[in-house]
Amino acid sequence: MALCRGAGLLLRTLLPGNPLLFPAACRTQSSVSGVLVPRTSLTSPPWPEQLPPVCEAEDARRQAAVVSTVNGSIERQDYGRLFAVVHFASRQWKVTGEDLILIENHLEAGCGETIRLEKVLLVGAEDFTLVGRPLLGRDLVRVEATVIEKTESWPKVHMRFWKRHRYQRKMIIVQPQTVLRINSIELAPRLS
Amino acid sequence: MTSRGTPSRFLQSVLQNGVGRYVCQLKRLSIIFSKNAQSSLGVRGFIEEGVVDYAKYNPSTVVYVSPQSCRIPKIVAEYLNGNVREEIVTSKTSIQISEVLTKLTNQSGLDIIRLRKPFHTDNPSIQGQWHPFTNRPPCIGPIRPQKQDTEQGLSNI
Repeated sequence: MALCRGAGLLLRTLLPGNPLLFPAACRTQSSVSGVLVPRTSLTSPPWPEQLPPVCEAEDARRQAAVVSTVNGSIERQDYGRLFAVVHFASRQWKVTGEDLILIENHLEAGCGETIRLEKVLLVGAEDFTLVGRPLLGRDLVRVEATVIEKTESWPKVHMRFWKRHRYQRKMIIVQPQTVLRINSIELAPRLS
Repeated sequence: MTSRGTPSRFLQSVLQNGVGRYVCQLKRLSIIFSKNAQSSLGVRGFIEEGVVDYAKYNPSTVVYVSPQSCRIPKIVAEYLNGNVREEIVTSKTSIQISEVLTKLTNQSGLDIIRLRKPFHTDNPSIQGQWHPFTNRPPCIGPIRPQKQDTEQGLSNI
């Protein structure tokens, strides 16, 4: 159940789009149409599905209303704290301001330097979310982080042992680590 | 030892370093070496060439150079959170010693033990933490005990 917690989720999503970013086992845009995932008791909620009657003009009007509300909210900058899902170091992180991230490799930036995390997949506030397909534009979101610490990991023991073969090898692995502090997430006041 | 047998901690920073300005966590460096022993050859070379430049580039760190009669040359690093780390630099070259110093400068003084999670947030939930009633439409009605008839089994499969 640790996956349910919001703090610093490592998301492995199944969103359609760039297969390099989303290596999903079941693609929702494959050539086989119809049932792609086996139906189980948890496929759909236990209550009967109630679809509202479909009307295209009504849908378009609602969509325009939602877009204008979100645009107005962004222009007035009256959202509270923002969170973002950022793709960095081959992992996805759910990130807010003032939180810490540990990267298990060496970054070129020195301690105290600011980095911009460019691959942003999703940005959300309390009332709205902006979902990228698969990435959001660079001029829309800006996520900045500072390098706080560049250490080495604790010495991990890597041992291979085959029983009854008199074979054992022991290696101590120490990996470089970088700690980033996310400084801010900013939204540009312009949406299409 | 295994990660179960060794102590562990959560990812943290010293006094929210980085939220405002970044502060270098290294407080004091003491280089203990011998004037004549062979093991301190690299240290003596580093002190001739590199120590002054290092101290100039890191103005927030105080560097003490103390020649003593000792068999093992050491670098003792003290950090702002009170931790002390000793690195033994026997028979290291000047370049290796400067790398050791860079590593010590970039570290914060927190223990180098297993980190439980590679992230830390003080605000884990912004849109509200999920609970089973988050997206449940109220038109369904309240929760009632399930009927005991066999016809009311899992008919959705």
